[in-house]
Amino acid sequence: MPWNVIKVDKMLDPNQQFRGGVFHHSIPDGRIGADIRISPSEIIAEPSAEALSVMDPSEIARMPRWVIPLSECQVDLGGASGRMVFCRNKERDLTIFCEERGFAAVLGDRSGGMLSEQLHLVKKRQAGENHRFRFWLTVGAVATLLLGVIGYYSVLAAARLAIAAVPISMDEKIGSMAMQTIEKEQKLAADHPATKFVTEIVDRLKPHAAIPEMNFKVIVIQSSEVNAFALPGGQMVVYTGLLKKAETGEQVAGVLAHEMSHATLRHGLQRVSQSLGIVAAIQFLIGDAGGLLALGSQAAQTSILTSYSRQSETEADLEGARMLHEAGLDPESISAFFDKLKKEDGDIPGVLVWVSSHPLHEQRIESIAKFKSTLAKKEYGPLDLDLDTVRKSLQ
Amino acid sequence: MEVEIRNRPAFANLLVNLQPGDRIIAEADAMASMSSTVDMTTRMNGGLLRALARRFLGSESMFVNQFTTNSSGHIVLTQPFPGDIVCVELRGNTLFLQPGAFLACEPGVSLGLGFAGFRSWLSGEGLFRLKMSGSGRIWFGAYGAIFTREITDEYIVDSGHLVAYEPSISIRVGLAGGIFSSFFSGEGLITRVRGPGKIYMQSRSFDGLAAWTNAHLW
Repeated sequence: MPWNVIKVDKMLDPNQQFRGGVFHHSIPDGRIGADIRISPSEIIAEPSAEALSVMDPSEIARMPRWVIPLSECQVDLGGASGRMVFCRNKERDLTIFCEERGFAAVLGDRSGGMLSEQLHLVKKRQAGENHRFRFWLTVGAVATLLLGVIGYYSVLAAARLAIAAVPISMDEKIGSMAMQTIEKEQKLAADHPATKFVTEIVDRLKPHAAIPEMNFKVIVIQSSEVNAFALPGGQMVVYTGLLKKAETGEQVAGVLAHEMSHATLRHGLQRVSQSLGIVAAIQFLIGDAGGLLALGSQAAQTSILTSYSRQSETEADLEGARMLHEAGLDPESISAFFDKLKKEDGDIPGVLVWVSSHPLHEQRIESIAKFKSTLAKKEYGPLDLDLDTVRKSLQ
Repeated sequence: MEVEIRNRPAFANLLVNLQPGDRIIAEADAMASMSSTVDMTTRMNGGLLRALARRFLGSESMFVNQFTTNSSGHIVLTQPFPGDIVCVELRGNTLFLQPGAFLACEPGVSLGLGFAGFRSWLSGEGLFRLKMSGSGRIWFGAYGAIFTREITDEYIVDSGHLVAYEPSISIRVGLAGGIFSSFFSGEGLITRVRGPGKIYMQSRSFDGLAAWTNAHLW
């Protein structure tokens, strides 16, 4: 509490000076810094030393002192801090203002409590305003949060619906565009054993894909990176680092089934349309409401996209497992490779990054095993391809 | 010390003519050119903590430059964005500036940083503001033209357009209209200022520029 109208009798110095200012039309520019005193009958303001230091003598000579008799003083409270006391004369053309602590108390005391009452009323009005501000602030925050959550789920649903209506040729276009940006200098020839090896796996899995007519193509790039990815439309890239790291052909098949599923489930397009949709929705909802809301929604957007990505990873795991099952391969090949990575290279940063964008390790192994148990029992054959020759060719 | 504000309003800059004994304090990096007879000294703006606060909370530099001369000379000071510059003479009164607006002042002026409050923050005017007090001239700039208004009662300013105001002005946040028109008019939140006192506004806002740029990026 900046001042207290009740404890007025506490240490009142009759000659106490306060720093403040004056608004009056006679002053050049209409305002000046002033020293204020309160006599038993008047409020007296005189230009402060700082003000005098930049005024020329003729101006100082003309400068009066400003006086408001306490009996006709009207007080108000306001200013940037909400604590500035304004004293106006009866004609309301002279305003003496002060923000210093104790000014209101002295003013109240000198006026015999009359001005205290006025100030008290103003203060009560201010408290009411503050109360309403806090109420609407809360309402606004809750409404924004609600709209955000509703908007987010609407955008997700709308994106899925919209994608169903978009032809596959759109995926292929986006995929080809993305493919152009990929470094292909280290690409292995089409007749290289490694390229033949992955192409054969893709050919075997292709008939069991959710969209069999999708134009699956796979290239192998010489790189120590343990990575493989699919672009929208079915173009895939496998790095030799992954082939070297894999123990069995089935593990490679597991990874490829998982990646092909991203393409057939059209996750790339979903991601693009969702982020566009979220950005558009934020723009639409918030307009120019300011940096605060934009900042909050930006943070939300990032976390939305990461969690979305995990959800589609899980979907790709299960769809990949289904494809392997149909192709007569063990669905748990998917978990096998990730399991190996986790056990061997859990603390190598490069590998960790790739694994970390994928669902929690234990969760995915569990969900694949659970999914496998719902499938019809089937004898899974080995993959009749020779990974060892491929690995030798990569030495 | 003669100071001329040139090339107003779009690309305003200050031409300061210094005589022996004159001093002007300017924001770091504001100097565009100067006579070889002018000396520049750099000092931290009032202690490490205050300087740090000014840098990170007030969007100003940690350091300010002081220009003096033994014979005579001139310097040209500019601001980083296009827009007008105004001069205000403080005579024991105080003026609050939006972060980033300060350009230069005379030595009698003290520069501080104050918490502007959540209302100011919500209305897009920043959580902190620069507090200029003392005596002497100050020069500050804005994006676009600067116009002033003497407020006696209440007045409404769109968010991001308020550049400077006196401590006697109170600030409240409000919706531009009803819930519906506030969202769809593009006005969103507005600032209600209440006098008495003077406010300085800019004819363009940085948020407006950012929104316009974004619209052309996507």
